[in-house]
Amino acid sequence: MSSPHQEQTLALVIDHIRNTVNEDWITDYDIERGTRFNDDLELESIEFVKIAEALQAHYGTRLAIIDWLSGKSIHELIGLSVGDLADYIAAATETASA
Amino acid sequence: MARILFTVPPLTGHLNPALAVADALTAAGHKVAWAVHARQLRDKLPPRAHVYPLDAEDPDDHGIVHPQVRGLESVRLFFEDYTLPIAERMLLPLEAITRSFQPDVMVVDHQLPGGALVARKLGLPWATLVTTSASILKMSPLLDAWVEGQYQTLQARYLPPELTVARPDFSPHRVIVFSTESLLGTQHARIDAPYTFVGPAKGDGRRPVAFPWEWLKPDTRKLLVSLGTVSRDRDTRFFEVMMAALAELPAVQAVLVAPESLAALAPPNVLIRDYVPQLELLDQVDGVICHAGHNTVCEALSRGLPMIVAPIRDDQPVIARQVIDAGAGLFMRHGKVTPAMAKSLIGQLLATPSLAENAQRLAQDLRAAPGAQGAAECIAALALQPALRKVA
Repeated sequence: MSSPHQEQTLALVIDHIRNTVNEDWITDYDIERGTRFNDDLELESIEFVKIAEALQAHYGTRLAIIDWLSGKSIHELIGLSVGDLADYIAAATETASA
Repeated sequence: MARILFTVPPLTGHLNPALAVADALTAAGHKVAWAVHARQLRDKLPPRAHVYPLDAEDPDDHGIVHPQVRGLESVRLFFEDYTLPIAERMLLPLEAITRSFQPDVMVVDHQLPGGALVARKLGLPWATLVTTSASILKMSPLLDAWVEGQYQTLQARYLPPELTVARPDFSPHRVIVFSTESLLGTQHARIDAPYTFVGPAKGDGRRPVAFPWEWLKPDTRKLLVSLGTVSRDRDTRFFEVMMAALAELPAVQAVLVAPESLAALAPPNVLIRDYVPQLELLDQVDGVICHAGHNTVCEALSRGLPMIVAPIRDDQPVIARQVIDAGAGLFMRHGKVTPAMAKSLIGQLLATPSLAENAQRLAQDLRAAPGAQGAAECIAALALQPALRKVA
């Protein structure tokens, strides 16, 4: 079960994705926890970095998205999903505010 | 007169520049031989080419195994399922071929590291041919470390430990890149190697391809739409979207390099061909929509053509970014683009003078670069440096 905090974080991440991509198809595209950045959204790395930077700016120093990514294997990076990113952010921000 | 052994993978984008370089070396009187996967490449080489098959005892046809993957996953699979298996299986046959032909110099495509390992083991002077400038860039510490790990495993099975290096794929003697530094940009640091940037190969060596030139009208704006040889048959969605967009732009004519089965669906201003004389066609068009394959990008830019880049896999996202950063192209998301978006992008492509201006600025450098002739001179020069030869 995901907590309200996790759900809010997921919604915020999805919002940032839609705003960054800003193309006609993404308005109606279902973005869920399991949606993958590479395979499903076809995001280029530069776009992913923009989304990460926007989220980083939103949450400030409580997050270290780039450090989190650098601990991943190439297989994990390829399969990275919206839920993976949202869960990391939710965990990092919950610990920090607790 | 030098004896020069070429080894390239069975991929069109890697073969074509090598053909042009070999052509220039042959014209200069050098003796060229090819160590290649002959079942796939024999009919693409000159009829009198001296060919040593690498696949005499290799039953596999080494196609791209996962044509559907995209992005970083294709980079991983290209290594794991294509480059490394080919490298391992060619090591012993190529070593035997090399001992038999006794080249003064080896010319090894960057994506055929088996050739690099044999040149290193035998202590021969050798040059690396790099057909995509994405290969020479440091991308991210994570990806770079993974690539080094892949090469480590490959070397451990063949080279004595004292010959093992972090990046065996780059020749310490000469690395010839078919691009220019102005297109490469400064976004990423480069892997350390002795580079010579020669621009697109230019010279030919390609076989003539028939084309209905009379179909092109004098009073239209013209586009070439191509996803390259690897992705042409990937799926038809992209081409269907392009046709839907182009149907609403009757003043534009477009040639789509796509499966001929789509011809029945094509509006009157779209011509479907499954193979085209790309260089001659580029001389006739006003813009290009492509996958940002390195050769297509350099060939189009050297004619000052602006483009829409719809990268899919391998090096394409990196090359697409170079074109966009240079101000000569617009981004299109290959698997998501809608007819409305495509129509709007095509409109922008043809109506934004700065795109063509930047393409023309890059064209000056690309045209001034020495191409296959310059590459041939670099290679011939290696033959005159006996100090590079390590063992008898």
